[in-house]
Parts: sequence; C-alpha cells; structure tokens
Amino acid sequence: MSKPTKPKCEERKSTGTTRRDFLKKAGTAGAAAGAASVLGSAALMANTDNPDAQTTWAEWFQGNYRLMTDEEKKEAVARLEKRYSAQYGKNVTVDDTPAMDGVLFGYALNIQKCIGCRRCVKACVKENNQSRTNTEIEWIRVVRMEKGQFSAGDMDKGYPPEEGHEYGVQVGGNAYKPAGVVLEGKHYYEPEDNKVPEKDAFYFPIACMQCEKPPCVKVCPVRTTYREPDGIIVIDYNWCIGCRMCIGACPYWARRFNWGEPNLPAEDMNPKTHYLGNRPRMKGVAEKCTFCIQRSRHGRYTACVEVCPVGARKFGNLLDPESEVRKILDRKRVFRLKAELNTYPKFFYFID
Amino acid sequence: MNIFRHASVVFSGAILLALTGTAAYADNTDTKFVKECYESRIEGSPTTRRVIGEDGWPNVKCSPDTGGVLWWGDPYDGTVPMGDMPTPSGPLMQADYAVGEAVVKPRINNWVDRKKLFTICTEACHNDGYQKAPETKKPRLLKMHTDIVPNSLELQHGRGAIWCLDCHNANNRQTLVDNFGDEISFNQPQKLCGKCHGPILRDWRDGIHGKRIGDWRKEGKKRWWVCTECHNPHDVQQGDRNKGFAQLYAEPKPETPKGMPNTDHENVVHGPGH
Amino acid sequence: MSSKARFPIDFFSYALKGGAQYYAWLGFLGIFILLWAVGTYAQLTQGMIITGLTDQTSWGLYLANFVFLVGVAAAAVTVVFPAYFYDQEDLHKVAVLGEMLAIAAVVMCLLFVFAHMGRPDRLWHIIPVIGIYNWPHSMLTWDVMVLTVYLILNLVGGFYYLYKKYTGSPLNKSFYIPLILISCIWALSIHTVTAFLIGTMPSRPMWFHSVMPIKFITTAFAAGPALIILCFLIIRKYTALVIPDSVFHKLSHYITWFLGMALFLIMSEIVVELYPSTEHSFGLQYLMFGLNGLNKLVPWFWTAIFLMVVSFGLLLSPLRKNFTVLPIICVMLFVGIWIDKGMGLLLPGMSPSPIGEITEYYPTWLEIFVVAGNYAIGFLVLTLLLKGAVGVVLGDVKYDQSK
Repeated sequence: MSKPTKPKCEERKSTGTTRRDFLKKAGTAGAAAGAASVLGSAALMANTDNPDAQTTWAEWFQGNYRLMTDEEKKEAVARLEKRYSAQYGKNVTVDDTPAMDGVLFGYALNIQKCIGCRRCVKACVKENNQSRTNTEIEWIRVVRMEKGQFSAGDMDKGYPPEEGHEYGVQVGGNAYKPAGVVLEGKHYYEPEDNKVPEKDAFYFPIACMQCEKPPCVKVCPVRTTYREPDGIIVIDYNWCIGCRMCIGACPYWARRFNWGEPNLPAEDMNPKTHYLGNRPRMKGVAEKCTFCIQRSRHGRYTACVEVCPVGARKFGNLLDPESEVRKILDRKRVFRLKAELNTYPKFFYFID
Repeated sequence: MNIFRHASVVFSGAILLALTGTAAYADNTDTKFVKECYESRIEGSPTTRRVIGEDGWPNVKCSPDTGGVLWWGDPYDGTVPMGDMPTPSGPLMQADYAVGEAVVKPRINNWVDRKKLFTICTEACHNDGYQKAPETKKPRLLKMHTDIVPNSLELQHGRGAIWCLDCHNANNRQTLVDNFGDEISFNQPQKLCGKCHGPILRDWRDGIHGKRIGDWRKEGKKRWWVCTECHNPHDVQQGDRNKGFAQLYAEPKPETPKGMPNTDHENVVHGPGH
Repeated sequence: MSSKARFPIDFFSYALKGGAQYYAWLGFLGIFILLWAVGTYAQLTQGMIITGLTDQTSWGLYLANFVFLVGVAAAAVTVVFPAYFYDQEDLHKVAVLGEMLAIAAVVMCLLFVFAHMGRPDRLWHIIPVIGIYNWPHSMLTWDVMVLTVYLILNLVGGFYYLYKKYTGSPLNKSFYIPLILISCIWALSIHTVTAFLIGTMPSRPMWFHSVMPIKFITTAFAAGPALIILCFLIIRKYTALVIPDSVFHKLSHYITWFLGMALFLIMSEIVVELYPSTEHSFGLQYLMFGLNGLNKLVPWFWTAIFLMVVSFGLLLSPLRKNFTVLPIICVMLFVGIWIDKGMGLLLPGMSPSPIGEITEYYPTWLEIFVVAGNYAIGFLVLTLLLKGAVGVVLGDVKYDQSK
C-alpha cells in the first residue's frame, strides 16, 4: 500500500515499449483518421468524372434558400442547372417560381374508388426524379386494408378459454383480425394474378399530408424544411444536414432519406425541375412529396392525380370555392388521418 | 420452291427488322422503353409512346410492368375539343368546361366517319354493307357481336332494363342515340349515360367523379376522360365482381427494407391470445 | 515557461506514461480506433448507406448510444453534488474525476451525433449567425446548446480545479462553487432535454409518454455511477491514489436507489401499456415478445431485464459492500441499462412505423466499427484525462518553476 517509486524507466526500456513508440502509433492513427475525415468531406462533394458535374465550393457555401436575395437565388439556380445538365446530359431547368397568390393547395382522395394499382406511386417516381435502386425511394405508400371477416367458428376461441369462464369472455375469438383502417395494413401486398382491386380488401395511399401545423417543420434544427405560402411543405435540399429528426417526427411516415448517392438513370430523368421540388437530390438529405411543385405552380395537376386510372385523386385550390377539392369538402364525407395529433393536414380522404 | 419461300420470308423479315430497328435506334432514348400502353381500360384506350420534345421528352411514359400509362408529357396530345355540352345554371352548378377549354380523346376512327356519306333511305351503312334498320327497339336475341355481348338478352348493364338499341342508333351506327331519339357522338357519351346516371353526371361535371388531366385552375384547359374510356358499357357488372370497373394489373410492390430477407411477416395471421 | 503553458504539457505527458499494461490497454483501444477510421471513411464517402439504417428504421445504433451516453455524462452529478453540497469529504477528492468522466462521455456523445448526421460537412448550417439555429422551436437545438454548455462547464470546472492543484494555489470558492452548482443542475437538464427530444413526438407512441424523462434520469444515475465505480476501482488498483471504501459504498447506495426507481418505472410502463394492449403498445410488444414473427430484439430485452433485476437484488444484499462482487454488479447493470436505454428504446420506437409497417434493423459491420471506435475514442479520452487528473491530485504533476 506504499506509494510507488518514481517511474521505472529502466524497466520500461527493457520491455521495448516506450512512450515514443506509443506516440508514434497514436500519431499515425490520428493522422490517418484526420486525413480520412478531410478526404471524406472532399469525397462528400465529388460526383462524376465530368468537371461540370462536380459540386462546387460556391454551392457548398450557399445559404438557406429563403434568406437568399434574388441575385443569390439566380446564381444558385444557374449553378444547379449547369451541374445537372452536365451530370444527366440533358438541358435541365431548375425553376424557382414562387407561390401563386390566392392559392392554398389541397388534396382529396376517394378511398371508395382506390383500387390499389400503385400507378400513383410509379407516376410520382417518373415525375420527381427519385433514386431508383440502392435505395429505391417512393414517396407514396399504398397500404392494403382488410374488409374484415367474422366467423362463427372462432366464437369460442377467445380468452379466457372456453371451459369454465365464470366471469364471461373478456376477449372474443374474433379479436385480432384486422378490419377497416388499422395499423396492421399490408404494405407489400401482391394480389392474386396481379389484379386489383382484390375482393376482400380496400386501399389507402399515404404520402405527405402537407400539414398546416407540420411536426417536421417544428423539429428541423436548421429550418431547412418549411411551409411555403401556398401551403406546400418544402425542403431546401442544399441546406439539409441530414439529422433525420423530421423523418422521426412525421406521424404519416411521409419523408424519405437519401442514404447513399441517388441512382437516377439519365434517360428516365425528368429535366423540368423546381428548386424546392423534383430536382435531383444528393446523398444525405431528406425528401418527400411536394405536390409536384414544378407543375402545380404553373397550373398543372400533379403526376399522381393525372395517372390515377379510377379518378380517385383530386387536387386544387382550397381557396377557390369552384374547385373540385372544395366541392368535395362541401358535399362528401371527409376525414383526415390521425386528426387527434392536431397536424391539420390538407390531404383529405373521402368516401363517395 | 420451299427454299425460296423460306428465304424470302427470312429476307423480308430481316429488312423489316432492319427498318424498324433503325427507326428505333435513330432515337436512342426510346429503345429501352415500352412503346405500346393503355391509358385506362386495357382494351379501350391504347396509346403509343413517341418523342415529342427535346432531350427525348415523350408524350407518355409507359409502365414496363403492366403496360399502363404512368405519365403524360403532353396532356393534350391527340385530343379534340369536347364539343357542345350543356351548362346548367345556378350556384355551384357551373361546369369547368364552360369556363376553361375542354378536350377529349376521340372515341371513333376517321375511316368510319367517311362512310356516313353513304346512308340511303332506311338502309344504313353497317359493316361495309347495307342493312335494313330494325323496325322496333324491342330486345331480341342477336346472332352477331357475340364477342362484345355474348347474349343480347342478358346485357351486363342495367339488369334487363336496357339493351343494345337503347344506346346504339339503329339508323346511324356511327352515333349513339338517347331516349328522345337525338344523336349523340361517341365522343360525348356522358350526354347519354348521364340520362340514367344523374348524380354521377353531376359529380363528373364538377370533376369529383372521373378523371381529368391538364390545368387545375377553373379556367384551365383540361382533357376530360369520358365515361367509356373507363367503363366498358357492354360489361359493367363484371360477372361475380359486381363492380362498374374491370380489374387492372397492379404495379410492383416496394423494395423489401434493407437487411430483411422477405416481407412474409405481413402475411402472418393473428390468433387469439395475441 | 508560464504555468498555464506548462500545465497541458505536464498533464498529458504524465497521462501518456505508464507500464506495459497501460500501453496494452491503449493499444487495444487503438485497434478499435483504426476500425473506426475505416468505418468513418466509408460513411463519409459513400454515405450512410453503409449502415443498416432504412427509411423505416431511420434512427439506429448511433442515436441509441448517444441517448445512453448523455445519461452517463449527466451522472457526474452523483459524485460532484454530494461532495460539495452535502459536505461529503471523501467524495471531495474524487469529484474532479467525475468531471473527467463527464467530459469523456460528452465527447462520445458528440462523436455519435457526428456519425448520425447525413451531411456532416453541412453542420455549420446549425451555427447561429452564419447558419440558422432554430431555437426555441426545435428540440435538437436545445440539445446542442445544453450539451455544448455542459462540456464547457465541465472543462472549465474540472481543469480549473486541476490547474489550481497543479500550481498549488487555493481555489477561488466564489467562482468555483457556483460553477459546479450550475454544472450539477445543468447535468439534469442535458438528460431531460434528450428525453424531450424523443418524447415530444406523437408519431412514436413508444416514446410519447411523460415517464420518459424521469426514466432517463434514473437509469442515467444508475449506469453512470456504475462506470464511475469501475473507474475508481481501477484507479485504486493501479495508481497511488487512495480512494476510501466509503466512496464506493455511497455510490453503490445511490445506484441502488436509482436502479430501484428505474425498475419501478419500467414495471409501470409495461403494466400501463400492456394492460389495455392498444395499437400504441405495439412497439413495446415488439420489444418484449416480437410481432408477427419478427423477434430479434426479444432476447436482448429479457437479458437486460435479467441483468438489471439481478444487480438490483445483489445491491440490496450485503454483497453490495463486497469488493469482488461489486464490479460484477456494476458491469451487469451497465450492460443491462445500455441495452434497455439504447437499442431497447430506439429500435422499438421505429417498429412499427407510424403507418404500421413492422421491420427489423440489421446493423452492418462498418456501422459496428464506428460504434466500437467511438467508444474506444471516448475511453481513450477518459483514460488520459483520469490518468492526468490522478497525477495532479496525487501531486505527481506539479508546477515546477525551475523548468
């Protein structure tokens, strides 16, 4: 228990391990790690071999889109157009049209009509330049709900089990069977003969609800996702730091993340893009449905609305009483998903 | 002789292949894409993909999995004006086609139209010949068109309330006819269908029922889908299904999440005592 | 050279000196740091696709370990607060070692945050003035603020004490006492804010309940002192610093209380969720029993419960004061809480997803390298800081004016 004597230099030298050796090893390891992170940051910027297709330092230093002056916005757009055009070999335009006056976009989906064909999912991908493989990103998710069946044969299979339940059956045998809109909808359904709608199912497509009180906007630490005046919740892809708070906070699982560099084939790429919408994203940023901002701000319907073969999807200006969306709110029985969370979505579901 | 026949077939086949192949490769953005697809009903709405703009901008993008159209590059491609449609008055009764331009995809071919010139007296042009028009509209068993309607006395539309000549104009096969005897163009079936399906017509006019693409603004130009582009009037009930709409092929399911071997867990059936 | 300039030199040159076992330990950590470099390089160049994260499980091992380590960082309070505000003399001498642990733990937290970001090159976007700092709306900005300030408080507080000891000058109590009082209260805040970070999202019913913050604090104050006990046992064995038994008895006493409260909270969470068994309880059911045949987390959960309950039982018994059993108890409960609060909390919150998709998360080897490497870096920092601090406290590291 006595205090040890001064460092035993002699003993250490004999074992051959000196402080110097250790420092050398630590130094190289540290330098390697340091170099790795610097290289890594540079590597974060590199794209393809074409020099015009590389992300420039100017783009890296650009500020948040909303705070840019008109000059800076034009510069940012020009930079992006140059880079995308070089990358995809097409004349890519990046639009920066602001919101139209007097327009608040709304959406209505008729779940009586949806047949679960998933064409909306694929049309959205054709229009909005998502990554196709590794990872495959689809902004819309169609969930298959059971219509529900009750059977007499299961009546006595409940809990407590049949014999001697003096206090009555607490859980009926027909419990735990999904019916109607439940959390246990199926996402990966493969219909028989690939034909839809199936006999005992109905379908529930879900994408960004463009909430008026969006949880994703509230949690974003850098305010890269925000609500535009026409009601669309947008993301400035060049400002996103990839913290994924928004993906965790969204109650509708509407947001996606670019885990790696997106794989977007040039021939299928849509060259008409919007800065806040369907321009090609980069690795490490979030993305989601933007109500086809590149189309809707010029008066065109969204891709999902146009493709729906049964006309279940309706889109328009909530402030125009003549629009079909307002007429639906007026005449049809409308509800919103998870209304109890007070997110006030502008995406309504209705039955007909 | 056999050799010649085979050789000529092969030779002409080769030329054809070269021509079509060359045509295809001339526009190299097209070779990877599906060219023939349908817009809504599998047999009722064929369309062909072609490049209409720079950088290979196509008129439609077709699904390689189901052959359905997924996207329109030009929503008004191949359309004609909808034509005269009644616009009822009153609040919230105004139809968008009264305010904005309305176009439809034509339902009839031009070559049929030209033959209209040859209608003579009570005999109407019908299938390249002349047929006497039937005297009454009473339903009877027909020997023809059994591929479209297997049994004319059991038309799968209306459950015995209507039959062929309630819609088809016996005096002019190029048009439809309504209960007043007025001719209705195949391009405007809604004028006929809406006679019985009133609430649907009103919802269709307001854009709630049916499909429109183009400009969402009130005054915007829209391409309207007419009734028969989605619904097959000859087989509305769809057998046991009892729906107004035939089944379509579904697009593929999403990718299985990374790391998971499959998505079979979704098919687990719950039992009691969960 | 001035004392201020010599202090870091003397401190770290002392910290880097040691016997063969010491270098073996550092070399062992060095291996994992090399693996960390491999994983981090892959992640920086290819993106987070090298991990097992998906859109469904968008938060995984990195954030799980972050959440756990924030708690460990907060636990320095259990040494510092009783030392100064309950006049526990024996804890006085070792309080600074607790602060060193807090620094190392916060360093690990920051490393995990860095690993978690999709675009670490854009982290400057969160700095106020040059970027946008969405405070007070975003809970993450609160977390960044409290963690940074806590790190500063501990660096200033810890090194001020050590520097004064180094130069042999008396502490300025009117500066030092309020500083550590603030850092003690602040320690509670870092963990409460982290709990709010995950607990204020109604999209995740597994986390969306008011038990979350108190469960965080109690598990933190059980796991953190356990690590402190282990560090002190090692210091007692390998250095000349005398740490009286009473320090260990007090710490294990605190752990017993906090572990007991934590187990009570776990029990109440289970009862409240499983009794009515609503759809909101599916996350917990996935963790405890598996859902639809997907049950990779189930053995982890029950192992954690077993470890925590057994350690609690042992802590209630006289074996708590047995110095052979005590380290085993500490390791058991540290691992148990690490499981329960780390992946046992984060992963069930992700499965089922907010719209009902049940998925399982399969971390990749590169991801595990980064996690292990982050811990190795943290333990390296901890080792060096503790070694240096012990040197200062013992008087081995003293300002020599002749040099």
